[in-house]
Amino acid sequence: MTKMDRDEIFDGKPVIAFRGEHDRRSFLRTAVLVGVGAGFVGYQAGDPTAGRGSAWAGNLAQASPAGDLDILNYALTLEYLEAEFYTRGVAGGVLSGRELELVTPIRDHEQAHVAALTSTITDLGGDPVAKPKFVFPQGTFTSRDKFLTTASTFEELGVKAYHGQVPLVDSTDILAAAAAIAGVESRHAAILADLTGGNPFPSPIEANLSMKAVLKAAQPFIAN
Amino acid sequence: MSITRRGLIRGDVAAVTPGVAVGALNNRFAWAQAADFDSDVDVLNYALTLEYLEAEFYRQGNSAGLVSGKEQQYLAAVQADEDSHVATIMQTVKQIGGEPVAMPSVDFGGAFASRQAYLETSHTFENVGVQAYLGAAGFIKDKAILQAAAGIFGVEARHAAIVGNLLGLSAEDGVYMGATETPLTKTEVLAAVEPFLAGAGAMGDDAAVTL
Repeated sequence: MTKMDRDEIFDGKPVIAFRGEHDRRSFLRTAVLVGVGAGFVGYQAGDPTAGRGSAWAGNLAQASPAGDLDILNYALTLEYLEAEFYTRGVAGGVLSGRELELVTPIRDHEQAHVAALTSTITDLGGDPVAKPKFVFPQGTFTSRDKFLTTASTFEELGVKAYHGQVPLVDSTDILAAAAAIAGVESRHAAILADLTGGNPFPSPIEANLSMKAVLKAAQPFIAN
Repeated sequence: MSITRRGLIRGDVAAVTPGVAVGALNNRFAWAQAADFDSDVDVLNYALTLEYLEAEFYRQGNSAGLVSGKEQQYLAAVQADEDSHVATIMQTVKQIGGEPVAMPSVDFGGAFASRQAYLETSHTFENVGVQAYLGAAGFIKDKAILQAAAGIFGVEARHAAIVGNLLGLSAEDGVYMGATETPLTKTEVLAAVEPFLAGAGAMGDDAAVTL
């Protein structure tokens, strides 16, 4: 995650404001466990095959002590962000025609992901983080270009975030479920790239970002 | 895990233990039969066969002069992705001491009769590819290979969405296939691609994907 990406998304303003210190710490704790405590091995953004010939044993982290529940809460937080973003964006009325038709189901998907992750965490005996308070930069939902460009950035970030967690998930069931969501995020990312004149196929293998990298990008914007 | 894939398909939800994440996610994860794959090499050779099919499909399709402009550009990129997947998987199989399966003989029938037929067949291939990877992912033991396979799976989903959009399909159940992707078992996938395999034994004697 580069600074440029961050500015594109957030305009340097706080975006995530957790409702309580518990939720904020729950979110950040995983950054410590995964990002610092686990002793990362060359885990970085990019095509997993980059710099390794065509070997695909690229950016593999060591097993994480964070645990599947923490990973699910991490995913839930990102899905909360996306769900609210699209809910407000679609309601903003800046899209019409085919664009509206393509983006409306994305909102529905993100809402479904929030519900699914929440119930999964609960079913597993965990404590789902509450929905944080998000503050989007002014103008995000009043400009078609701004809305879709921000959406595209969010989707690419979401894809990389999911793929960064793949080798860290312990449970095969949860992995399959998370992958089933990640594939949908890839579809979203491709369509939004198309709508915004970007490249729907930036890499033959999805790039990934560690939780540490995603949180590093988000952390400056998490309000206490 | 006390549930079986067959149980899920029958809707035998009583067999599902409480707290099963998959159920909560409304994810019809196919609990593929244990006999489907014996090793990571088996899974990779299964994926390689599908990637061979896709790569050859686009090689032929893109040579047929059916598309132009942005469509041509997109489909050229898709072809490059599939070629890359073939090369990557082959090398990985070798790296872990396996023998990559040979490319099957293929026959795409009337798929290149028109732009519409080309894109529709592409859409089918891509969605089957997505579902195949998801159905097989649970068998991959090596976490690095799993991450790469998931990375390919995501790119196939991108292809599927874009081709669906080029066809002007409805957003839901066309461009997207719901809030979660749906896996397919090996048997289901092979049944779907069988029409494109030319002749019995096309998969090769030591292929992991024989029916």
